[in-house]
Amino acid sequence: MFGSLDVSASALTAHRTRLNVIAQNLANQHTTHDAKGNYQPYRRRIPVLASGDPAHGSAAGVHVRDVMLDASAFRKVHVGTGHPDADADGMLNMPNVNPVIEMVNALEASRAYEANITAAEATKGMLNAALSLLT
Amino acid sequence: MIESLFQSGALDVMERVVRFTEQRHGVLTHNIANLSTPNFRPTDLSARDFQASLSQAVEARRNGGQPGPLVLRDHGDLRFRSGRIEARSAAGGQNILFHDRNNRNLDHEMKNLAENTMAHNMAVQMIRSEFDLLESAIRGTA
Repeated sequence: MFGSLDVSASALTAHRTRLNVIAQNLANQHTTHDAKGNYQPYRRRIPVLASGDPAHGSAAGVHVRDVMLDASAFRKVHVGTGHPDADADGMLNMPNVNPVIEMVNALEASRAYEANITAAEATKGMLNAALSLLT
Repeated sequence: MIESLFQSGALDVMERVVRFTEQRHGVLTHNIANLSTPNFRPTDLSARDFQASLSQAVEARRNGGQPGPLVLRDHGDLRFRSGRIEARSAAGGQNILFHDRNNRNLDHEMKNLAENTMAHNMAVQMIRSEFDLLESAIRGTA
């Protein structure tokens, strides 16, 4: 029964990580330079979930296996040839982040988070019922 | 004598129910944790098969008259191993397959979770009243 609480907790961690990645994508949707100041548009991050919880040595649960880079093309914006980072056609590469997609993913992640909260509450209720046998 | 006290009445039946609901709860929380995981297929332990197996075992004990713990036989997709119950097939829900190859069904999982929790709590309550009965018998007063 205590294993069920671990499973739900692993899911809460995984979905919170997803929300963090989504928040980072949204924050950087207009970022064209990296931390060193080079011209490097931000690439969208994609969290990949997998079953199991290797951090706690358990086969049940879920974890974020990887945070991949989205290989799709950058968004091109016309800024004119006067812009220091524009190419010969006056086009600038912007991050490949679509805020609508990120918002929908954030909604789904928080719905999944709430579902796991409910499951954890059910586990606690069952444990308390079993404890009431003693008193 | 103590063993026959605990194995004759409803106590044994309720204990089996509690063990089943506990294990099914683990499976259901694993399904809910993996709602968004690609290539995951939700599994389940069939309550109907367990009910059939349990009623068969109770019938056998009632007719055979042999004392001792209930013997649950494999039924349908359920397999009873020592201390564990296994579902033979991973069939869980007939929902559509989404693009991440996961045929999740959140409402179905939540319904199963609620049902299972209520059955568990009911069984624990009944075990408790069995013990209360024993206690009042020992005391000699109500």
